[in-house]
Amino acid sequence: MTTPILHIEHLQKNFGKFQALKDVTFDVYPGEVFGFIGPNGAGKSTTIRTLLGILKASAGSATIFGQDVFKDAVSIHKRIAYVPGDVYLWPNLSGGEIIDLFLKLSGDKHSDKTDQLIKRFQLDPTKKARTYSKGNRQKVALIAAFSTEADFYIFDEPTSGLDPLNEEYFQKSVAELKKQGKAVLLSSHILSEVEKMCDRIGIIRDGQIVETGTLAEMRHLTRTVITFKTMDDTPELASLNGVHNVEDQPNGRQTFSVDTEQMPEVIDYLAQRQIVELQSTPPTLEDLFMRYYDTSEENIAEGK
Amino acid sequence: MLSNNFTKTAFLTRFSLRKNWLKLTIWAVAMAGLFTAIAAKFTSIYSNQAAIDSVMETLKSPAMTALFGKMPSGVSTSADIFAAEMTVFMAIMAVVMNYSIVIKNLRGEEETGITEIIRAHAVGKLSLLGATMIEAIILNLGIGLLYSLGLSVANLSGTDLNGNFLLGLGLGFAGLMFSSIAALMSQIVDNARSSTILSYLVFGIMYIARMTTDISDPKQTWWVPFGWVEKFSTYKNNDWTPVLLMIIFTIIAFALAFFINSKRDVNAGLIATRPGKKQASVFLNGTFSLFLKLHKTSIIVWTIGLLILGFTYGSIFSDIGDIIKTNPALEQMLGKSAIHSANVAIIKQFISMLMIIFAVLSLIPGIQTIHDLKTSENKGYLEMVHAKPVGRSKLYLNAITVATITTLLVLAATLYGLYLGGVYSMKDPLPLKTFAKAYAAYISPTLIMLGLTAAIIGTAPKLSILNYLYLTAALIIQYFGKLLKLPDWPEKLTPFGYIAQVPVKTADPETIIWQLAIAVILFGIGYIGYTRRDLK
Ligand SMILES: Nc1ncnc2c1ncn2[C@@H]1O[C@H](COP(=O)(O)OP(=O)(O)OP(=O)(O)O)[C@@H](O)[C@H]1O
Ligand SMILES: [Mg+2]
Repeated sequence: MTTPILHIEHLQKNFGKFQALKDVTFDVYPGEVFGFIGPNGAGKSTTIRTLLGILKASAGSATIFGQDVFKDAVSIHKRIAYVPGDVYLWPNLSGGEIIDLFLKLSGDKHSDKTDQLIKRFQLDPTKKARTYSKGNRQKVALIAAFSTEADFYIFDEPTSGLDPLNEEYFQKSVAELKKQGKAVLLSSHILSEVEKMCDRIGIIRDGQIVETGTLAEMRHLTRTVITFKTMDDTPELASLNGVHNVEDQPNGRQTFSVDTEQMPEVIDYLAQRQIVELQSTPPTLEDLFMRYYDTSEENIAEGK
Repeated sequence: MLSNNFTKTAFLTRFSLRKNWLKLTIWAVAMAGLFTAIAAKFTSIYSNQAAIDSVMETLKSPAMTALFGKMPSGVSTSADIFAAEMTVFMAIMAVVMNYSIVIKNLRGEEETGITEIIRAHAVGKLSLLGATMIEAIILNLGIGLLYSLGLSVANLSGTDLNGNFLLGLGLGFAGLMFSSIAALMSQIVDNARSSTILSYLVFGIMYIARMTTDISDPKQTWWVPFGWVEKFSTYKNNDWTPVLLMIIFTIIAFALAFFINSKRDVNAGLIATRPGKKQASVFLNGTFSLFLKLHKTSIIVWTIGLLILGFTYGSIFSDIGDIIKTNPALEQMLGKSAIHSANVAIIKQFISMLMIIFAVLSLIPGIQTIHDLKTSENKGYLEMVHAKPVGRSKLYLNAITVATITTLLVLAATLYGLYLGGVYSMKDPLPLKTFAKAYAAYISPTLIMLGLTAAIIGTAPKLSILNYLYLTAALIIQYFGKLLKLPDWPEKLTPFGYIAQVPVKTADPETIIWQLAIAVILFGIGYIGYTRRDLK
């Protein structure tokens, strides 16, 4: 594979005695959108702020473009763009001024693309930041980021305040970046967004990466829910390998969930019992993530 | 309807008191402690008539009137001196305290969005303002009572119970009056910074009016609300009229504030925020110009404000440097040139006392600029700047450069104003060189103060309050040192103690050099800290 743009290895971060990051390891490659998800307080923002050199790692290493994120911050930052989840802007400056300032700080200029983005996101750039709504402040940061010429884009919950229309513009803009071969790190709680946009996903919980991979790979780890009706009875179903939670439904239907690996055998078994109706619901991203988000022990134990 | 508007006021008051209790306690203890300690000190240093008589001569001079307030006639006891000399200063401290607390409570909370959350609950429209008003009443009158008790404890000769309560509570009501001004200004504009500037503008005008009327015609001082604190006539006539006037003023100002508050929206003021530029100008092209732009208003306001203050002080040079007026017999005894040099000496003495005030005032915007590195971090404004190829060292250096320029510019403006005031008022004005020398001497100590601020922000930003405490301590030591007959060592605790006599004496180069060295070291410590630590 090509060399990664971002390479994190056993990153740790302590705030006093509290261990916010225990072990974070993952890579992001050129041309991919990497989804970074996990429950509240898991350490997503802490990881990102460490990558930006705002926080200093306690242990482990992180490099962007092969350079150390803390020591070589300035040179790395020439080629990255960042949008935080909570955007706070100097109340006395107008949105237009702030966008231009951010561009100049990156060594870029206000371009046609900037004007297009302002139009696309429908921002009034003459308003003072003091009077912007949350979504509008976020748009300022997004417009500045998308019109920056960078190789690596970092978004920390960038759409939490956007309406659906602007959310769509955001997805469109990210798709354009991907087409140009840029790398994107996207932290988000909006799973449909992640499902639609991300090539690979990393799940963090309690400061630890618990899973990374493509969505397809992860789906493999989960169960499909099947609703069916057969002519003959299916008494052995519950005892089959990989079958769980068999339940009777109205109208003679039954449901159960099945480990993805055992699916062929189970379907075979049902086929022999003369299927009348069969409906399979692939695991949604929600199902997948609920398993990781829910911190109760039994769930973890049972999940794997 | 009325009761609806004030729903939950009591609850919010308790909540606010609980949230602010540490700040309020520190202010109350510090103010009452200072007041009582100085009173006790007066008891011992002005214990006999000879000591009182000798200090009276100095205190009656126009220079001292300008600084400390008008000394009434017929003063005979240490209590009289204390009452006359302490009121103006304590009232200024009360203004600073009330402005910071009230504006933080009203505008600060509104900016952080807390007001919006609270207003969404079943609380009245005016409850937050009501709660702040009650908090101000409790704080100011509490401190006033502590003053009164302190006066009884300090046991000055010549006090009486009525006078103790008049002076203590009078100062308390004066503080309350300024809390009402801050509350009113907070309704007019829509952010904390503008409210602060506007409130201090009102105070500045009152202060200058009080000073000039004190010297030209003390009766006119009745027209100035800030001047009312000088009209108690404590321990002589014990006149409660000024307190009554303060109460009336306070009621009117709060009533206006409530009225505007009931009409305006949350996050708005009477004056709406105007739209800004569509694009950044060519000048806004980096962090340095960003900091300059952010602090532009503050730099302009401070420069012009202190230029005017300097001018006002300078315009009384003719009154101060006129020994013939106070002692006509001298005209026969001394020659013209001897009289002139005596006058010049008095004025220079006066300037040397003014210097500490000017230095402290010009340090405030500079310290604020460095503190802004921390506050804009906490508010999240710098989050995205950190992701730019800017570098912490650049941010730090930009901030301390803007701070240093600000402080040195404001100090220069003040001294230039002083010079102009002298030119305007005197037949034979002091040359600009005198002021330039004083300025040059004060560069190194102000840089130490800024360096210390930078060192604290760089290494331990949580301790930033220490910067203002140290600055206040320096002011008190230099300002009251002579009056309190303090020993030499407290003066040596701050950098100003080593160049105190400028421009009467010239500062020696050695002092300047080691002071500059310390300043550089302090800036260096801040640099190392800021470039290494976690930001926030
Ligand atoms: N400066 C700090 N000092 C102490 N603890 C901190 C600090 N910053 C973050 N934390 C803690 O570190 C943990 C991780 O926080 P972080 O902001 O990274 O979570 P997150 O995954 O971004 O959550 P969210 O989804 O809510 O944004 C939390 O428990 C948080 O309280
Ligand atoms: Mg976060």
